[in-house]
Amino acid sequence: MAGAATEATMPGSAGVPDLHGPAPKRQRYSGNRLLMILCLLLPLLGFMAVFYAAPFIYLTQESFRSWEGEDVAQVEPTLDYYIKTFTSSRTSRAFVRTFRISLISTIIALIICYPVALLLIRAGPKVRAGMLLVIFISLASSLIVRNYGWLVVLADQGPVNQLLVALGITKRGLRMVYSEGATIVALIHYIMPFVILPIYGSLLRIPDSYGEASVSLGAGPWMTLRKIIFPLSMPGVFGGTILSFAICMSAFVTPLMLGSPATAMMSQVAAEQLLVQQNFPKGSAIVVILTVSTFLVVVAYGVIVRRVMKVDV
Amino acid sequence: MSEDRLFRYFITWLGWAAMLFLVFPVVLTVVVSFSGSQFIEFPPKSLSVDWYTNIAKINKIGEATLLSLLIAALTGLLTVAMAIPAALALARYDFPCKGAISAFLLSPVAVPMIAIGIAILQFFIWTGLPFNWLTLLVGHMVLVSAYPVRTLIASLTLSNPSLEEAAASLGASRWTVFRTVTLSQLTPGLISGFLFAFLISFDNYPISIFLVRSGLTTMPIEVFNYISQQLDPTPAAFSTIYIIIVSAIIIFAERRFGVISLSVKG
Repeated sequence: MAGAATEATMPGSAGVPDLHGPAPKRQRYSGNRLLMILCLLLPLLGFMAVFYAAPFIYLTQESFRSWEGEDVAQVEPTLDYYIKTFTSSRTSRAFVRTFRISLISTIIALIICYPVALLLIRAGPKVRAGMLLVIFISLASSLIVRNYGWLVVLADQGPVNQLLVALGITKRGLRMVYSEGATIVALIHYIMPFVILPIYGSLLRIPDSYGEASVSLGAGPWMTLRKIIFPLSMPGVFGGTILSFAICMSAFVTPLMLGSPATAMMSQVAAEQLLVQQNFPKGSAIVVILTVSTFLVVVAYGVIVRRVMKVDV
Repeated sequence: MSEDRLFRYFITWLGWAAMLFLVFPVVLTVVVSFSGSQFIEFPPKSLSVDWYTNIAKINKIGEATLLSLLIAALTGLLTVAMAIPAALALARYDFPCKGAISAFLLSPVAVPMIAIGIAILQFFIWTGLPFNWLTLLVGHMVLVSAYPVRTLIASLTLSNPSLEEAAASLGASRWTVFRTVTLSQLTPGLISGFLFAFLISFDNYPISIFLVRSGLTTMPIEVFNYISQQLDPTPAAFSTIYIIIVSAIIIFAERRFGVISLSVKG
């Protein structure tokens, strides 16, 4: 991070480092400056407090209510819907399925995206620019459009089936769409840019000399990658996989388009409770469980990477 | 050394296969959009451009696209406008609870989208606020505001504050310094923040589906409904146009403002 450049700051302020810089020395907060900072933050912070924080507090509160038909009965807070989420076979299976799909998609995405990041590092400027452009267009393209692409690819009369028939692997086209496998394939496709870009970013920060030193000391490319490059790129791997996992956990459109009701993920089950059953407390409880469990996995993953693998991320 | 070469081949091959995987559905969609068949078929047995004219038959596609454009543009402009001062405070100053405030402002990215939609839906019902296009705007702004904050902080940390000091020491007022020096250094962050906000809002389904009431509808909702009800390749024609427009925007933004390089470094 540009430590030297941030020593100097805007006129009228004391020397303050940037967001990720070293911890600042204790300093006096003059009333005037605090007031100015508050004014700078106020528009966004105020908006987010009213339309983001308050709705989430209300949602959490709602999830502890009980529900009787159309009315929300004003009774003591209850854990009913939390318990029901884990005891009902539909929601508990959706919960396990969501975890499984997210884990599989993230791991496969990491395996196929790491080589792409390595290619980006080694490629010449023109090839690299072209590859980055493709990755960014993919990132910016509509999720519905990209999922539709998979409906086309995996269709009954689609190219994959035609190939399978032509190769004589199957006699008739297989039903590939509306399944858990199709959902995983489309999710991997969706999260690829989120995995490639952070890994590429952290590979950029590793000096070439590290790899060269390793090779000159007799280590082969595999050893160099495993012992030198991969551990040093861990911040990018961590950032990319954590974001991808969170995206998969909350996937809604993709399982809706490429899965079936039998392969529903948590977001679908929650949406169904709200839009179809009109059971707001139950839908809210599912959403809270989904958000909290995703958050817990993120924290646990961070601890494991830091403590067990001894990598600072 | 042959094993090492094998390993190199394997990594290179896997990387290119992954890139192929990334573009494969897009290429297929474009090919199928010119198919003459009533359903998705590959390779197409005959060619036609009928599916392009058929786009007009998607229910309410005109007004839905207009509403999506309006909301995406306003979402982009308003979140960028609110993110500029917030990013300035976060990147340039130190104050109590800074870590918590920045985590709070960046958190919507990690929260399930439908959670945002559901929370705002219940909040509007609870407070009795009316459901109209402003509800959609609010929902989209909550979802995307973290992106301009992030790109602007990246821009600010890469920018050079000594230029501002130089301007100030030459007698420029604080406002002039901000307008002429700070803002011009922020341009890449502004553009990519706006682009992210615009594109994510324009494409949003999971939040919109909870917040559309009283006949309002957005483009993703109508396209989604069409895909789930019809099997013909009209959505392929729509997708092709969408991809061409997005590609043009990204290429222009990269040539003119270096959006990609900023996002990779930031």
